[in-house]
Amino acid sequence: MADVAGSTPEPIARLIEEFHRLPGIGPKSAQRLAYHILRVPEREALALAEAIGDVKRRIVLCSTCLNITEADPCLLCQDPRRDRTMVCVVEQPLDILAIERAGSYRGAYHVLHGLLNPMDGIGPEDLHLRELVERVRGGEVVEIIMATNPSLEGEATAMYVQRLLGPAGVRVTRLARGLPSGADLEYADDVTLARALEGRQEI
Amino acid sequence: MAERPRVYKTEGIILRRRNLGEADSIFTVLSAHEGKFDAIAKGVRKTRSRMRGHLEPLTRSRLLLARGRSLDVFTQAETVAPYRAIRDDLERSATAIYCAELADRFTIEHAENPGLYELLLAALEALDGGSPPGAVARYFELHLLSLMGYELQLDACAACRGRLEPVETLLSANAGGLVCERCRAKAGAGRLLGVRAMKVLRYARNVDIGAFGEVRLDQALAKELEGAMAEVISHFLEREPRARRFLEIVAALPGRENALAPGIVESEQGP
Repeated sequence: MADVAGSTPEPIARLIEEFHRLPGIGPKSAQRLAYHILRVPEREALALAEAIGDVKRRIVLCSTCLNITEADPCLLCQDPRRDRTMVCVVEQPLDILAIERAGSYRGAYHVLHGLLNPMDGIGPEDLHLRELVERVRGGEVVEIIMATNPSLEGEATAMYVQRLLGPAGVRVTRLARGLPSGADLEYADDVTLARALEGRQEI
Repeated sequence: MAERPRVYKTEGIILRRRNLGEADSIFTVLSAHEGKFDAIAKGVRKTRSRMRGHLEPLTRSRLLLARGRSLDVFTQAETVAPYRAIRDDLERSATAIYCAELADRFTIEHAENPGLYELLLAALEALDGGSPPGAVARYFELHLLSLMGYELQLDACAACRGRLEPVETLLSANAGGLVCERCRAKAGAGRLLGVRAMKVLRYARNVDIGAFGEVRLDQALAKELEGAMAEVISHFLEREPRARRFLEIVAALPGRENALAPGIVESEQGP
């Protein structure tokens, strides 16, 4: 962004730089966003700044399930109607939203905040696994549902958790893997098709 | 430069994936004739992507690619071998990931190397078919070094070309192989290998991976070979492969209910 530094006033250049750091924002988009902020009423721009500040100041991780929350424990962990003997383990907070949207799960969650990725050097100590082990040690948990992606990393993470917690006497299950609705059989990969066949159900 | 066709077909093993933007990924592929290369799969992270499962790392796939300005773009992908038995077992996954990382790190882009492709293919087939993961990893390391021009001298002293006695002998990456007792002082760092370990390495060099998978190694011997080869690999790579730590973590886990074949290399009964 060297070209910007010379001809653009410093505060704008700084804002462009900040936008440029965001994922998916290239130099042109960053410029457009910065000039947009310059044009909008001050109230609107400050509301954005405040929202960013609030996210960083007021959002914490739930001490039980590691979901992002404003109140600790989070609303899901406080809810007395939820079944605490079942813990659904997910990669990231967004996965909880997806499962809640589906609306058929009434148990508790645990967010790992990542997946094992040996090639990138992400190991068990980089995930929130210790907290999961503690929860299982607490004795209330009967079943762990591994809801990690059906990718190499997701599978490795699920198998790792199974090996870690299986001996502790807890039941470790895995989300079924098969064909997504609206899929084309013709384009399905061998692993997905084989698993869909294995998991077939009577109509 | 001769005009290249706009699309081309190849077959390869997916080594790794990096996500790009909202729904795209960049995959690193090792192929027989194009060598190692990166290419983009557009929209592959969407549920309804037709290429998704066919581009999973550690899958052997037939690929159709379109030449792009900087990176080529996948237009079709079809699985040749999904290696399910590897995916369903933690030790096998970890070993396959380790081999894929070595294949990635030891190569540069677009350098044709059919031998390496065949070697990685053989390693994945062996892991999928039930060969002990430790044996596959050692075999892969040894033959990878040969293919990359770092063949270890195992028959005579790597320093003086003199005869090797059937006694404990130094394996020195710096010297390029086994070093006799007289040359040991000037050979630099390395590990002392017992006579059995030396024999296993020579055997690994001379047979195919399937036959090597039949060799019964007790735990002590397997550890000895693992440590010695790890040092050699790190020397030539000038760094520690990242997946090695994961192999160690997996090896330290309790129980192996998922193991396909009774581990020979990692036999829990020990020698």
